[in-house]
Amino acid sequence: MLTIKNLRISHAGKSGKPLFSGLSLAVDPGEVVTITGVSGSGKSTLLNWMIGDLDPNFKATGELWLNDVRCDTLPIEARHMGLLFQDDLLFPHLSVGQNMAFALPARICGAKVRRQRVEQTLSSMGLADFHDRDPATLSGGQRARVSLMRTLLAEPQALLLDEPFSKLDAVLRTQFRAFVFEQIERQGIPTLLVTHDPADVPQGGRVIDISDWQHSHV
Amino acid sequence: MKHSTLTAIAVTLSVVTGAHADWAQTQNEAKGQTVYFNAWGGSEATNAYIAWAVKEAKARYGIDVRHVKITDSAEVVKRVQTEVAAGRTTEGSIDLTWVNGENFRNLKNGGLLFGPWAQSLPNWGLVDLNKPVRTDFSVPTDGYESPWGTAQLTFITDSAKTPAPPRSATELLAFAKANPGRVSYPKPPDFHGTTFVKQLLLELTPDKAVLQQAVTPAAFASATQPLWAYLDQLHPSLWRNGKTFATSAAEMHRMLGDGELKLSITFNPNEAANLIASKQLPSTATSFGFTGGTIGNVHFVAIPVNARAKAGAQVFANFLLSAEAQTRKADVTVWGDGTVLDVAKLPAASQALLRKTAPGALAEAVPTLPEPHASWVEALEAEWLKHYGSR
Amino acid sequence: MAQTLRLTLERPLPRPAQSWTWTPRLWLAVLPVLLIFGPLLPGLYWALAPAFDAEVWQALWLDAQWPQALRATMISSVLSTVLACAIAALLATLHYPGRLWTRLQRRLPLLLSVPHAAFAVGMFFLIAPSGWMARATAQFLQWTSPPDWVTVQDPYGLSLTLALAIKESWFLLWVLAAVLGEQAVSRQMVMGRSLGYSRTQTWALILWPQLLPRLVWPVMAVFAYGLSVVDMAVILGPSTPPTLAVLIWHWLTDPDPMFQARGSAASLVLLAVLLVCAAGARGLGWLWIRRRPYPSGQRTPASNWRWFKLHSLLFATGYAVVAVLLLWSVAQGWFFPALLPDAVSLASWQQADWTPFWTTLWLALAACLLCLPAVLLWLEWGPKRLNALLYLPLIVPALPLVAGQYAVLLQTQLDGTAVALVWSHLLWVLPYMVLTLIGPYRAFDARLMTSARALGNSPWRACLSVKWPMLLRPILATLAVGFAVSVAQYLPTLFAGGGRFVTVTTEAVALSAGGNRRVLAVQALLQIALPLAAFGLAAAAGHWLGRHRTGLR
Repeated sequence: MLTIKNLRISHAGKSGKPLFSGLSLAVDPGEVVTITGVSGSGKSTLLNWMIGDLDPNFKATGELWLNDVRCDTLPIEARHMGLLFQDDLLFPHLSVGQNMAFALPARICGAKVRRQRVEQTLSSMGLADFHDRDPATLSGGQRARVSLMRTLLAEPQALLLDEPFSKLDAVLRTQFRAFVFEQIERQGIPTLLVTHDPADVPQGGRVIDISDWQHSHV
Repeated sequence: MKHSTLTAIAVTLSVVTGAHADWAQTQNEAKGQTVYFNAWGGSEATNAYIAWAVKEAKARYGIDVRHVKITDSAEVVKRVQTEVAAGRTTEGSIDLTWVNGENFRNLKNGGLLFGPWAQSLPNWGLVDLNKPVRTDFSVPTDGYESPWGTAQLTFITDSAKTPAPPRSATELLAFAKANPGRVSYPKPPDFHGTTFVKQLLLELTPDKAVLQQAVTPAAFASATQPLWAYLDQLHPSLWRNGKTFATSAAEMHRMLGDGELKLSITFNPNEAANLIASKQLPSTATSFGFTGGTIGNVHFVAIPVNARAKAGAQVFANFLLSAEAQTRKADVTVWGDGTVLDVAKLPAASQALLRKTAPGALAEAVPTLPEPHASWVEALEAEWLKHYGSR
Repeated sequence: MAQTLRLTLERPLPRPAQSWTWTPRLWLAVLPVLLIFGPLLPGLYWALAPAFDAEVWQALWLDAQWPQALRATMISSVLSTVLACAIAALLATLHYPGRLWTRLQRRLPLLLSVPHAAFAVGMFFLIAPSGWMARATAQFLQWTSPPDWVTVQDPYGLSLTLALAIKESWFLLWVLAAVLGEQAVSRQMVMGRSLGYSRTQTWALILWPQLLPRLVWPVMAVFAYGLSVVDMAVILGPSTPPTLAVLIWHWLTDPDPMFQARGSAASLVLLAVLLVCAAGARGLGWLWIRRRPYPSGQRTPASNWRWFKLHSLLFATGYAVVAVLLLWSVAQGWFFPALLPDAVSLASWQQADWTPFWTTLWLALAACLLCLPAVLLWLEWGPKRLNALLYLPLIVPALPLVAGQYAVLLQTQLDGTAVALVWSHLLWVLPYMVLTLIGPYRAFDARLMTSARALGNSPWRACLSVKWPMLLRPILATLAVGFAVSVAQYLPTLFAGGGRFVTVTTEAVALSAGGNRRVLAVQALLQIALPLAAFGLAAAAGHWLGRHRTGLR
């Protein structure tokens, strides 16, 4: 369960103009909540705050709770939140398999065992012999899928998606979207999706417009 | 009889007027020329004096002298050699150079000097011929270089910290041992360092006469044997254990001022006075020499064979030899470099100026020892480098 | 300017198929570069040919000075490069991304504009046995004369190493800052951390393996500089014997052709050292990549290293250097162990010789202004594949190149002329200017040019009225860089100028052997003032000229 309590993000410095204030949100496990809004309204800033990488030009007050653990005071690596950007951000110096093994938790120890696990995951995605491939040789859709699986392999307790479909063409987009929602449902992770395309909203999912928390007065 | 006298008078007159006509022609040629004067630039007093001379030359003779500062005259030798070897026999880059000793010898023997010209300068008549102005480190100048000033190896110390400085080579050794790490000298082939080594050689060698002749391997070995023995004893007590040496005499003055060294070396008996005036040495600094005498020499200016502005160079050299320039040079508040002119031939005012003293300058009369033959210099430097040049 | 460098270090774009037709425009682009680089080829032959003689190599082998000279050179260049990399790496790992990193980035250009020789002089004033640090210690320990420390001109070249390391770390930090400004890099950092790894781990496992290959050329340039540096080595390096570079310089300028040949041979040794070390580093890198273990997933918690104020130390050194230079320039009688001068006056400034300053000024202006058209033409119409050749002067030790230039000038009897002097500087000013400008140039939207051409302009007009005016800020930055590079040149001024031209750099090095620190401080400060003024002017001009055009700023 992912909960935001009374979040207010404003510009740092004297003006202190707020981006939005009083934002409270609760996301259930397996639920995908979509945040929409016009460009520049602060959607990505919200995600940045949640992951722990708020731009120093902003300041924030409010609480973030994940599974009864207060997260907004923890560093990024301690929050157990997965992240997906528009760019796949596969590490170019590692092979596809090594990318995925990087995310695997340490409790699966031993290089052989880890490799097996990764290859299993790759097979289940339909990329059976891709372990030693260079990520740059994969197609856009394949990279997107590997990127998602890498994030999920790290066993995150929440997932944040920052316009992950915007760089894909229409066909790929539909396929990948379905893949993402399927994985999320299977693993039961609370997810926050930021997008400006209404077609990205899952069936029956909650949609929240960020302008609801942007008042013209302070 | 009358005939011969008349002839003699006529001949002398014609020679004199001819010479004057020649000189007038040279002066005319010199107008508007640019003269590149390569001279050691390691002393501010010297540089300031040369700057004055440059200004005067421009105003009086219309020649544009450029002082090219060098660290060692050996660079000049190299440049002229390279240029001449590359076929550049008329458009050389050096017109006049401050030189003496082995560098002069190398230039002269290599046929790299223009001349003879020195004795045809009008101001040659003022020169004191009792000073060694016609031989340079026992090598006859033959008019290929014109005398400029006199120098004598002098030591400087801070009388407040060192009331009883050493006055001979043996005393120096004892002094160094008593003050380990506080004595040094510039590394040869820096000419201060070389002269310091020559000074020690003169004091320690058994037969001094042999030094005035060209060096031979046998003579070298026997003459320098006590020198190397002495230096072997001296070096461990030197600054940095004799593994590194001061970069230059100017650096030694600075180290003396800071107390890093107890002694410094200079060729100019008035250097200490200059430094005190410019606050680079404390006011308690004094100059001294060895009781047995220190090496003194005459330094010259010479014109390379491929100089572009030979006329301008000669006119400038003549100006440097003039009473006014020499007096100002000898003024302890300007430079303090000894004059090569016959003091008796100078006006009274100049003579008074030459007797001025300043605090810190060499106050005592230190006997001048003659320089060894020029060929000894290179042999000494090479052997020194072999013994002590690297760890 | 950071942006310009970042764009430069990007991976090369896939090369379009290129057909080489020798159009007049290609000639126009190639000609200036040919003029600058071309004469070097016969020059190198003349300079290095005497070295191809067994006797010369034998004489070199038997010379007593080379082992220690080589040792000092190896220690100073290898150690300083490693240290500089370590410092830059440590600072990046500790502070990127963050507020401190942005602050660091902003202050770097200020420190970078301190030329090497001036920095060496300042360090000398700080760490010498009678330097400021010793005086500060003397106040505590009641010393009356300077200690017998070998802090400068030590036989192993360690003080030179330290000075080089600090100076080059700023340069590497600047290069790193440019690369780290990319969004992709910062996102990778977030990605790595979101997977549970600490900052240091993400750096070690994700960022460094990607960044290090991109830093190869800057590091090699740093190493090549350390191998061939003469001005800093004269001031801070050992003297009995000196470093190999200084030794080569002495030999090349010696009257005796035997010594000149020996100098040429030793230059080849320097080149060989560069190649061997580069190959060795490459081999080590290759080994390291091969033996990379399978990702074990071990997440170690972050250790709090922020107490380690390395950046403060680094910046403090830079400020201390300038401060001590300023103090010395106004001092009157300042003997050990006084912490402050006995008296202050502007006498040193009033009596200062401003000729070197003016010479440096016109020389640097001529060099950067002459290079600019050459750079623009080359980047626009020059053969793009040959860019690597242009960078050669940066990664090859300077000495053989300078010797080659000098040989050419001697043969054409042009040495000692102003033209020759400016020409000799161009060999180094051009690569730096290309390096600075190539990023923004390549990143320029080609569609703007197409639009301009479509409106009926010739390529020439399109460049003049559209492209080059739009690249105003990068061009100004490039000019400033070229200016600074020319100011800092030492060996070319000495060789090509034939000792006739005195710049603030040559004057500072020459004065460092003398005893008057005040005059030296004045010249060193003048040497610092020039590039600083150039950068300031470039930034101000950029702002002013773009005052009505936000898109240009």
